[in-house]
Amino acid sequence: MTRAPLSWSMRIGLAILGFYVAVALLSLVWTPHDPLSPGVGDGFLPPSVEFPLGTDRLGSDVLSRLMAGTQYNLGIAVLAVAIALTVGSILGVIAGYYGGATDIAISRGVEVFQAFPGLLFAMLIVKAVGPGVVNVILVLSFVGIPDYVRLARAEVQSRRNWPYAEAARMVGNRSWQVAFRHILPNSTGPLLAFTSINAAFVALVTASLGFLGLGLSPNTPEWGNMIARGQDGVMTGEWWISFFPGLAILGMTGAFYLLGDALSDLTDPRRRR
Amino acid sequence: MARLILQRLFWLLPVALGVVTITFFAARVFGGDPTELYTPPEATDALRAEIRERLGLADPLWVQYVRYIGDIARLDFGVSFSTNQSVGADLTDRLPATLELGLVGLGLGVLLGVPLGVLAAVTREGPTDFLVRGITLTGMALPQFWIGLVLIWVFFVILGWLPGPVGRLPIGVDLPAPITGFLLIDLLLLGDMERWRLAVLQLVLPAGTLAIATLAPIARVTRASMVEALQSDYIRTAIAMGHGKRAVWFRYALRNALLPVVTLVGVLAGYVFGGAVLLESIFGWPGLGQYALQAIESSDFAALQGFVIYAALLYVLAFLAVDVLYMVIDPRMRR
Repeated sequence: MTRAPLSWSMRIGLAILGFYVAVALLSLVWTPHDPLSPGVGDGFLPPSVEFPLGTDRLGSDVLSRLMAGTQYNLGIAVLAVAIALTVGSILGVIAGYYGGATDIAISRGVEVFQAFPGLLFAMLIVKAVGPGVVNVILVLSFVGIPDYVRLARAEVQSRRNWPYAEAARMVGNRSWQVAFRHILPNSTGPLLAFTSINAAFVALVTASLGFLGLGLSPNTPEWGNMIARGQDGVMTGEWWISFFPGLAILGMTGAFYLLGDALSDLTDPRRRR
Repeated sequence: MARLILQRLFWLLPVALGVVTITFFAARVFGGDPTELYTPPEATDALRAEIRERLGLADPLWVQYVRYIGDIARLDFGVSFSTNQSVGADLTDRLPATLELGLVGLGLGVLLGVPLGVLAAVTREGPTDFLVRGITLTGMALPQFWIGLVLIWVFFVILGWLPGPVGRLPIGVDLPAPITGFLLIDLLLLGDMERWRLAVLQLVLPAGTLAIATLAPIARVTRASMVEALQSDYIRTAIAMGHGKRAVWFRYALRNALLPVVTLVGVLAGYVFGGAVLLESIFGWPGLGQYALQAIESSDFAALQGFVIYAALLYVLAFLAVDVLYMVIDPRMRR
């Protein structure tokens, strides 16, 4: 089997994400200054050699905080999406394969959650369950689950009576084996493509929650949190505190979108050129 | 068609019930004891018990739940303890500000996004296409609140071309008594052109932020569906029959390509409500979003529940409107 050459958007997306992973790992062992302690320099210092991205209101180093923030923003996005993908696909496969009352129960239940705009729902639940990294991850995965359910359900429903599924049943596989071992693996393409797009959405919502001061403690070097800390500075000309975290979000989210695009080009024959 | 709409409306009932149930339990089960918010810390236990009794919190949860459903069914969202007014009235007061900003922003997003998408599709794989795709990718990958802050920084702080983020009118200029609640319409009705000009200037940055954030996905979807339309058999036929390029693009291809865009605008309407919380907090815009943010910050659950239910219903209604519009545009849906 020959593989299709990797598209440019896939290469760029993977390269950028690789860079973010590297920064996240590096920040575990080294950052130019301590990201959590205030007063490593004076407050509101513009970018300079010692503080390449300047310092914030409390005199913390923006570059160090930006690097440490990668752990939060990338980590939350990856974990939340992984949970949503797993739970959502399982529910979707069950609904799509077995149909009937099970399908109605799952599909209608999911519809209720989709009546909320994603960000609002996340805000409400995070406010209700209280702050913490684990809570934020769980809430964001919860918000994503309905989309995975619908996608997996549609995929499985369209394939459950294909000859290969019939054949798998005929040789004596149990129904869950046919559903999960034979049909689901053939649907991984669209699911993975959506996962990447969803990761971009999760990254934006994470930053939004941080900006509103929901979810994580105020000194967490999460990028949305950092933008909020610099918000007043924007009015008085200290632009760097809010500006650079936005660029960091742009890079990560953009990479997820590029990757998602490339994956759907690969898996959707209509979009293949 | 009327039957289909009624059917859809009927399906809204269980969804609405689900939404109300989720918000109720999210607030009551995880939200802690609301009594704490009404009592000073030095209150005696007897006083606490009395307040609990008066708020109806002493009853079992299911009694509270049934009572809550009854209240909501009569469109009674309770009383906000920070404004001391009925939540329903608060929300209705603030809805026009949010709608005005949302409609202008989303409208601009459509007006800019659709032509950009068409432009990218007809120059497919060329430099223009590449540029448009770069713009849409950037627009989608940026958080809305950051776009807003950067616009404020550039156009207010550095250039001084536009007024600062202080709401619907500059500080010191009074709002007129609401007629429709839509400020631009009210001021036109009053014939107050000076204040109208000020209101438009105040609207430029927040609406521009929303336009940038919404034009990106709109342009992207328009491009994708336009590309698909241009490759279709009926377009090939139209070209073979000697129709001009422009007629083919706009009269045949674009009409068909707009269907997915209509769906997307429905989705974005919901996104506008969610994003309103962030956008309005940045621009000091006195709409639903700011109200919700204050409710979050002061743990005012009656107000927050009211807002979420309101937003969810508007969201679902936007979807319904899209479905109806779909049936109007697409003859295949009519049957």
